[in-house]
Amino acid sequence: MVKITREEVLKLATMSRIHIHENEIEELISQLKSVLSYAERVSEICGDVSVASSKNSNVFRADEVVYTDSQSILAQAPQAEDNYFVVLPILDK
Amino acid sequence: MSMFAFASIDDLKNKLAKKEVTPQELVQYYAQRFAKYDDSLGSALEIFDTNSVLKDAINSGPLAGIPGLIKDNICQDGRRASCASKILENYIATYDATVVKNLKNAGALLMGRANMDEFAMGSSNEHSAYKKCRNPWNDQCVPGGSSGGSAAAVAAGLVPWALGSETGGSVRLPAAFCGIVGIKPTYGLVSRYGLIAYASSLDQVGVLTRGVKDNAHVLSAIASHDPKDSTSIASQDYDYVKNINMSLPKEFTIGVVANALNAEGLDLQVKHAVEQAIKFYGEDLKINIKYLDLKTLDYSAAAYFIISRAEAASNLARFDGVRYGLRSKQAQNLYDMYADTRHDGFGDEVRLRIMVGNYVLSEGHAGQYYHNAQKVQRMIRQEIIDTFTKVDLLITPSQAMPAFKIGAFDQDKLQMDLQDYFTCFVNLAGLPAISVPCGFTKDGLPLAFQLVGPHLSEAVLYRAAYQYEQAHDWHKKQPSNF
Repeated sequence: MVKITREEVLKLATMSRIHIHENEIEELISQLKSVLSYAERVSEICGDVSVASSKNSNVFRADEVVYTDSQSILAQAPQAEDNYFVVLPILDK
Repeated sequence: MSMFAFASIDDLKNKLAKKEVTPQELVQYYAQRFAKYDDSLGSALEIFDTNSVLKDAINSGPLAGIPGLIKDNICQDGRRASCASKILENYIATYDATVVKNLKNAGALLMGRANMDEFAMGSSNEHSAYKKCRNPWNDQCVPGGSSGGSAAAVAAGLVPWALGSETGGSVRLPAAFCGIVGIKPTYGLVSRYGLIAYASSLDQVGVLTRGVKDNAHVLSAIASHDPKDSTSIASQDYDYVKNINMSLPKEFTIGVVANALNAEGLDLQVKHAVEQAIKFYGEDLKINIKYLDLKTLDYSAAAYFIISRAEAASNLARFDGVRYGLRSKQAQNLYDMYADTRHDGFGDEVRLRIMVGNYVLSEGHAGQYYHNAQKVQRMIRQEIIDTFTKVDLLITPSQAMPAFKIGAFDQDKLQMDLQDYFTCFVNLAGLPAISVPCGFTKDGLPLAFQLVGPHLSEAVLYRAAYQYEQAHDWHKKQPSNF
């Protein structure tokens, strides 16, 4: 069974940019343990086996400027001004 | 008018051609059915105003005048696309997904947005942030997920067809639970442009209908090569209807995945129904039946969990309170604004999957989880390639059990996730597969099998499914309350 500590959950939440409330931590630990313990079985079968990757190839397209109406996109934002999204300050004054 | 409720697309096309009914009357008719039944069924998040549906419709094309429903993670220009999530509650799509554009060019009438599990994450439709969706055959049971609304609406005769989407089984499972046909096409056959991403390397738009031929009609309309999706592939032929009547070639072999049929925990009524279907192919159609094991099958769900959650963690990073709808108001700094918005905007299941994804990708864990899952994925692909040198199609159950009661897995999320056990290897290998109804439990819940084929074998899958369907009456059964 995979071990997940409270600290790990909080670190994971920070990485995921999701606030976790105190009363949600226990349940999250138990759910993470359950799914990760099941998922561990991938190691059983593949071990050190090396399997060739599939022969995918890159697909390119011309880098052409296409007109897009930015206002209809900006209109979706919680806050926008002129041609910009507005966010909270990220630098101290 | 009640004869339209469960009519096939061919019937509707005939009636439209003979002017026995107009497209306007059809849309109004189905809109009235939604108004009458959907308060309790919960299959649609929105049915559009009839005039707006008809406004720009082209009255020509293979689906001219035929109404359908679109899963809420597929963009329709000027319409809401919420993914059944609070975080996209007010998001209005600014363009048409390629599938939507193709459908409009085929003359189809797009009536509304189907309910679903939030961001297509779930097997029961219980994770919709807006409302419960019920199974038309038993309102105490789930319709399956994540395309549960699409399946329930079609099964209840509220609309002739619906689009869903798959990442690990999200079209085939609700199709099986609701007694209808669901196809997951070859990865790349249908454009993902405008499908809001869950796990991009696995996602594919699929079709839900009551009959096999109806399904072929809609897939023929949506499949296309699209330069806007770099994983889109070109096919020789996009007409899946014309040869659907043809019998299967001589020396055709169907492989029975024996370790699926004998899987621990497979419901016995499901098993029996699938065995009857195998018997039909072997004894009635005189097709060669070959029993074989897919050794990687038992590892596919684990690999699927890891790869899908990893890609979800990356794809869903864009929902941060800056560009779309919801933004937490109390936050004093940028980090808190992100983290509060994402806590309040995402439901439990989505938050969990993002965190699992970041765990399996993180330093110290990526080797054990993500990289090994990718290896397993390659092993699955290799085993499948080898298998299709020996057989033409594979048959397995679509579902581990019949539709379950709402809330049945509230305390056991792993069992809920394992509903994808028989379906997700198909997505990991990029294959096409079709779920076909094959009976009912003694309590009247639908049962199904799935046929899986090599890449781009959709035409053969439809032919094999059609042969079965036409020799049985399952597709003629209708849920009694509609």
